[in-house]
Amino acid sequence: MTVEIRIPKLGLTMTDAVLVKWLIGAGDRVVKEQPVCVIETDKVTLELEASGEGLVHPIVEPGRRVAVGEVIGYLAADETELEALRAHHATAPTGPKETPAPKKPEKIRGATAMPKKSAGRGRILASPAARKLSTTLGVELKEIFGSGPGGRIILSDVQRFAETMRSTPFAGGYDIATVAPETELLNVAETIAIRGVRKIISRNMMLSLSRQAQLTLHTEASAVALRDMRALFNTSLEEGQPPVSYNAIIVKAAAQALRRYPMINAMVDGRDIRIWKQIHIGVAMDFGKGLIVPKIRNADTKSIQTISGELNDLAARAEKQHLVPDELWGGTFTITNLGNWDIDHFTPVNNFPESAILGMGRIVERPWVRDGIVVPEPRISLSLTFDHRIIDGALAAELLKFIKDRLEDTRLML
Amino acid sequence: MSERILTCSAALAEALHEEMRRDESIFILGEDLVAHGGVFGQFKGIPEAFPGRIIDSPISETGIAGCGVGAAMTGMRPFIDFHFSDFLTCGMDELCNQAAKIRYMSGGQVKLPMVVWCPDGAGLRAAAQHSQSLEAWFVHTPGLKVVVPSEPADVKGLIKAAIWDDNPVMFFQHKKLFAKEGPVPEEEYVIELGRAAVKKEGRDVSLLCYGAAYYLCLEAASTLREDAIDAEIVDLRTLKPLDMDTVARSIRKTHRAVIVHEACLTGGFGAELAARIQDELFDELDAPVKRVGAKDVPIPFSPSMEDFVLPSVADVLEAARAVTYR
Amino acid sequence: MSSDKQTLLEIYRTMVTVRRFETMAGEYFAAGQIPGFIHLSIGQEGSSVGVCSCLRKDDYVVTTHRGHGHMIAKGADLKRMTAELFGKKTGYCKGKGGSMHIADFSIGILGANGVVAGGLPIITGAGLSIKLRKTDQVAVAFFGDGAANRGPVHEAMNMAAIWKLPVLFVCENNQYASTTPMHYACSAGDLYTRAAAYDMPGEKINGNDVLAVREATASAVARARAGEGPTFLENVTYRLKGHYEGDPQKYRTTEEIEIWRQKDPIEHFGRMLAQKKYLTKKHAAQIREAVQAELSEALAFAQNSPFPEPGDAMADLYSNP
Repeated sequence: MTVEIRIPKLGLTMTDAVLVKWLIGAGDRVVKEQPVCVIETDKVTLELEASGEGLVHPIVEPGRRVAVGEVIGYLAADETELEALRAHHATAPTGPKETPAPKKPEKIRGATAMPKKSAGRGRILASPAARKLSTTLGVELKEIFGSGPGGRIILSDVQRFAETMRSTPFAGGYDIATVAPETELLNVAETIAIRGVRKIISRNMMLSLSRQAQLTLHTEASAVALRDMRALFNTSLEEGQPPVSYNAIIVKAAAQALRRYPMINAMVDGRDIRIWKQIHIGVAMDFGKGLIVPKIRNADTKSIQTISGELNDLAARAEKQHLVPDELWGGTFTITNLGNWDIDHFTPVNNFPESAILGMGRIVERPWVRDGIVVPEPRISLSLTFDHRIIDGALAAELLKFIKDRLEDTRLML
Repeated sequence: MSERILTCSAALAEALHEEMRRDESIFILGEDLVAHGGVFGQFKGIPEAFPGRIIDSPISETGIAGCGVGAAMTGMRPFIDFHFSDFLTCGMDELCNQAAKIRYMSGGQVKLPMVVWCPDGAGLRAAAQHSQSLEAWFVHTPGLKVVVPSEPADVKGLIKAAIWDDNPVMFFQHKKLFAKEGPVPEEEYVIELGRAAVKKEGRDVSLLCYGAAYYLCLEAASTLREDAIDAEIVDLRTLKPLDMDTVARSIRKTHRAVIVHEACLTGGFGAELAARIQDELFDELDAPVKRVGAKDVPIPFSPSMEDFVLPSVADVLEAARAVTYR
Repeated sequence: MSSDKQTLLEIYRTMVTVRRFETMAGEYFAAGQIPGFIHLSIGQEGSSVGVCSCLRKDDYVVTTHRGHGHMIAKGADLKRMTAELFGKKTGYCKGKGGSMHIADFSIGILGANGVVAGGLPIITGAGLSIKLRKTDQVAVAFFGDGAANRGPVHEAMNMAAIWKLPVLFVCENNQYASTTPMHYACSAGDLYTRAAAYDMPGEKINGNDVLAVREATASAVARARAGEGPTFLENVTYRLKGHYEGDPQKYRTTEEIEIWRQKDPIEHFGRMLAQKKYLTKKHAAQIREAVQAELSEALAFAQNSPFPEPGDAMADLYSNP
């Protein structure tokens, strides 16, 4: 029986993907769960596996954008079927063969409930006039936040967005060229198309900075208790368990803080503020292929060990680009750690449409005054960026202090 | 052009005086016209000035309408007074099966120049059978023209155009507006049928209206100004033929439309206009087209109920705010 | 009212024309060349021709769905009539009206009306127009026993009476309103008696005696032209065919139809003319042939004429001066 290979829906709002490359040659025999091709969505790059054994007959060439549900190839049960397929559908070129990746238990998680009314998610509601103007200006609707009922993008939203774009020169994502021409003194070394994850980051950063009223509070905490706690966890590790990271502890502290200050676990939706029931904390990671922010869901309900385990798993899969879009979605808060690069204070940008982000710097020994004496102490910088439209300075400061207190005395997290 | 202040009924009477003096084929037929010059004083002075050319009829709406048709096809220009628009139902065959269709059915052999003049509208506690606004029925009948003026100057200019139009024209004047005053030019003039008027320019929303609803929009526009919403008022004046160009120009400017009429909402003229707007101006719209009209019940007698059923300034404000997202 | 041989023979010829036309229409309808439906007036020629022979070209007439007879009697062009029945562009109404709405305003026919009694208020309006314009025209409404029971008849008669309009209300009582017999539907039996309620003279006439119809009509026309007001004439007659072509006619007996066939107005008149030595058998045959030739010409004209373009439907809605 011939089986179709279709692009699966891998996320609530996924509509299409690019077929990056085939991992097998036309007519190759594959086994169940063997990866057959690589696809790239707006959010993530991943491998599609064969649903069963068979001979692969690819019909879409690499590089093409395909819709969810579209057939890109077939699995023939035997040579006879393969012949029949070849007769009906032209074989697509597959490029050089690659050794198939080892079988892995891919778990595609079910779609999670996403806030339906954020910009760029789901069906975009826009008035006809707004659509027309956005086309005229060459602006994509999914980049615009709708202030009308149900998140409808209305004319004034497009007009305001266009104004912002005009007054904010930047490169990437749009066709506004502000680049110097080539001369004998200035030649292009390399041209990279902005697409996929880079395009998303580019767009989200602009959206975040243009749409929200962001500012950053800085503070420092003693890292003694933090270090001690981590050491404590790591001395009681079981066989094969990876070590607990600082990030895991900070995620926990942040989750507790958000429970205490729900206003920060919120987002602006048109004319309303939506305060979320669940706390899903994203942890920023970078493996040299662009920023990626997997989520720890319901972080407030999980133990530090659980969080740590999940973080390790997410990190490992993120590095191999094996995350699915839903694992990258639906966050309510983010933490970002630049400590590995000796960074202290910095001004992280909110992960739009979230309303706050906590940045951590390195843990470094500094002179500190305790009981009137200067002593060396490991200290960690904490930087909280927040959206002042809905979070006032005092509240942000309270949250930051709450986190700082729990890092300085970890017993408070019990 | 210099102007003086006239009421709607005086404007009508003046127009009739001028035209009846001009042309002997114009005569008026209806009920209770001679003794008082019409129940609304709309024919004041005419029985005296034109004896024999304003004729009282027995109460026979079918006969009156039919006479209009017969006279119009044999060389006269009848001006038929229908007393209350509610009674048009008693002459529907004559108006909709005969007047509207005879020219067409005869292959263009004859013209039917007649004016069917009807006081209409509610707010006078006259209850269901004396308060209706039925213009939609006649817009829906091919072969008729439909005019609904709001101000005295419109009444005078449009009634002349209606009289001189060689087709049957339904002309509706709101009963409450007979005493309404407004400036009317001294010099003679005609307002051609099928031309709307932008009576107030604005940028934020187009209030499309006719008849008594014009005055609701006027008041609403003034309140909206305080909320920094700049409304444009388009008085349609003629419903058929409709001046869609003026409507389109307005919506291309404001991108938002609210249609206001006193007639009840369902199947009212607003429905036809809204359908045309979304069809022809879809990409101009920043919001759905809203309609304001009376609630879908017969007009009740007791004042608080009648006021509840009829559209109000508050209804216009609500619609305008909805489409401007305020 | 003249009764010389010439005039009478013309009347005879007109009656034959109506009969032959209606018969031809029936045949071509059955053959599928006439769309819609038709209502034939075979048997009623005494009334239609009798009345119209007393009228001038500028007198007005409204007729009914059964109006071919009145049209021809008033002087309509057979070619244009036939073409209209066939739905051709060259018809009187450019194919827009058909049998029930056929009209020729140039000879005063203000149209056949598809609404029963629809023509009466209109003819009253025409009468009012005559009075206001102070001419001596006359306005004639044809209607049937069925129409007599509709409201507009009452209003039209009352208005014509109070204003003394030059109107003739000619009720062609053919005993049936579609399937409903007159003696069932009409209270008080006769119809002419209703005229008295409107202070208007009313008369009952043998509608199949064309000369009797002529006499009554002449008086009524004279009254009207003299400004003395309207008259009601009840012409009792019978339609020998069904209400419409294809009517199964279950509401009447073949015996009854046969009785009335014996009273055929054309045969009756023909016998009378023969007695007066005005009409020989040979002459009668010649007349029939001549009429047939005219009708054949009309038929050929209709069949060879083009149908209207579909888009022609959009024209003639409004008059644009």
